[in-house]
Amino acid sequence: MGHKAQGATTEIAADAPPALRTRDISKRFGGVVALDGVSIDIVAGQITGLVGDNGAGKSTLIRILSAVTSPDNGSIELNGAPVHFASPAAARAAGIETVYQDLALAGNMPVWANIFLGRELTRGPSPLNILHKGRMADEAEQMLSRLSRNMPPIDAPTARLSGGQRQAIAIVRATAWGSNVIIMDEPTAALGPAETRSVEEVITELRDRGFAVLIVSHNLEQVFRLVDRVWVLRRGRMIGDRWLADITPEDLVGMITGASAVLRGQAGERS
Amino acid sequence: MSATTPTVVLSPRERLVEAVRRYGIVAVFVGLIVLLVATLPQFRTPANLSNILQQNAVIGIIACAMTFAIISGGFDLSVGAGAALASVVGAKLMIEAGIPFGIAGALVAGLLLGLLNGLLIAYAGVNPFVATLGTATVVRGLIYVSTNATPFFGVPMGFTVVGLGRSGPLPNATWIFLVVASILAFTLHQTRFGHYVYAIGGNIVAAAEMGIDVRRVKLAVYALVGFCAAIGGVILTGQTASGQPQAALNYELAAITAVIVGGASLGGGRGGMAGTIVGVFLLGLVSNALNLYGVSAFWQPVATGTILIVAVGIDSFSRRSVFSIR
Repeated sequence: MGHKAQGATTEIAADAPPALRTRDISKRFGGVVALDGVSIDIVAGQITGLVGDNGAGKSTLIRILSAVTSPDNGSIELNGAPVHFASPAAARAAGIETVYQDLALAGNMPVWANIFLGRELTRGPSPLNILHKGRMADEAEQMLSRLSRNMPPIDAPTARLSGGQRQAIAIVRATAWGSNVIIMDEPTAALGPAETRSVEEVITELRDRGFAVLIVSHNLEQVFRLVDRVWVLRRGRMIGDRWLADITPEDLVGMITGASAVLRGQAGERS
Repeated sequence: MSATTPTVVLSPRERLVEAVRRYGIVAVFVGLIVLLVATLPQFRTPANLSNILQQNAVIGIIACAMTFAIISGGFDLSVGAGAALASVVGAKLMIEAGIPFGIAGALVAGLLLGLLNGLLIAYAGVNPFVATLGTATVVRGLIYVSTNATPFFGVPMGFTVVGLGRSGPLPNATWIFLVVASILAFTLHQTRFGHYVYAIGGNIVAAAEMGIDVRRVKLAVYALVGFCAAIGGVILTGQTASGQPQAALNYELAAITAVIVGGASLGGGRGGMAGTIVGVFLLGLVSNALNLYGVSAFWQPVATGTILIVAVGIDSFSRRSVFSIR
């Protein structure tokens, strides 16, 4: 298991299919329609934003993309090929990694152990599964140093680190295993301004290395700082998508709240 | 290992608390030994030291296994009953079918009890307290029913070599303890299984999200504890050459106390084999010292309980200040 240079400098062909795309996804919970015919494109080398009010269906869509929940209708395509994932593990194996708000870190364990959690390097005869601690620590350090300037000590218990450092560890782990789609749910919601900046730098770095990044964010300033193309959900429907370069914050708020119906529609070609 | 050294910034006070938490128990342990050597001539006699090692071998084996359960975020109240089960089953089989069958039967009985605990806890979702209290009560009851609560004799006297004999400088029971403790220490600290025990105790949701089969790990933990309790039961059989329905009474509390005194947290995720071993012998030394000083045996639980509360108190206090993030 190495760390692939994630298509680092590959040019994305103009007509290449999106890394991950949904078509007409619907999901009901009892009588409640959580998603109603939702389509979204998540493209490699771009940061895609997903915004919407509480209850708009963002979480449900993310859970469907990471195969925690399965849709009632609609299809999912990975690099243009239809896929159906039976479990989150299957989605992860196909290269779709999700960083949840809880980060899924074991605070009692050192940084390297969290990066390798569930994928430990072992040596010796296979039934013993002796941990290769030194190599994991070295490799984890390399992975972190490539993405994060605010490097946590690799042997420190994760609970001792700052929120931004923990977020970086969760992101590095998500990107380290041959994944190409990274989904992040409110990656900076719990962070102060300085830490938010450093996590945003990590996210930008991922885009530059060719990952398809999807970010759910409530913070519209952040959306404008970070995101290339934003998709707006309102009450379970995809209202539309826009290049951030083409709109103002007022436009985006209008789409989210439904205050300006004229803004319905699609993003044009990127100039 | 990595070139980085942990540079987590702690205040002087936090560093002091952290040092007390990490090395306080070792300091107390060493201090107690120095005190006993200085004040009690009979303490440092080979006979007494050998006695301490022998008396604590069984509880040591059980506590080392208990360390896995506690780090995983649970514990096992059925180890005393498990050891008694192994003692009774083992003695019965030794009398009727010979020593090898007796040992094998005892170990299988303990393993089955451990597997039952593991299935209840990991797969049926029963709380470890309830599950192991329940199996302990049932097993102890069944032992009393089947033996009429009376010890039975007839185990070949040759088998006392396990419980009372010695090889070279150490009692045989202590050799067994050393072997078991070494294997368990290696398993906990060097293998992926031990790593997963820490992960589950630290954040079970994260462990599951990262693809660790948390149920299987828990099942294995309780099976391991049951098996080691049975090893303890076999040694107890070897100490008396009899089946003892009352064997290992309250050993579960002694083992849990030793593990906690050794630095593990009942919340899971923290602890280690070295700490547990220090915890076992600290409590063993205290009881030996009270004996040698001629203090009534009734004072012993008072001392043990006090040590437990002080150890846990220091731990809770230090975690409140150092782990203020969570």
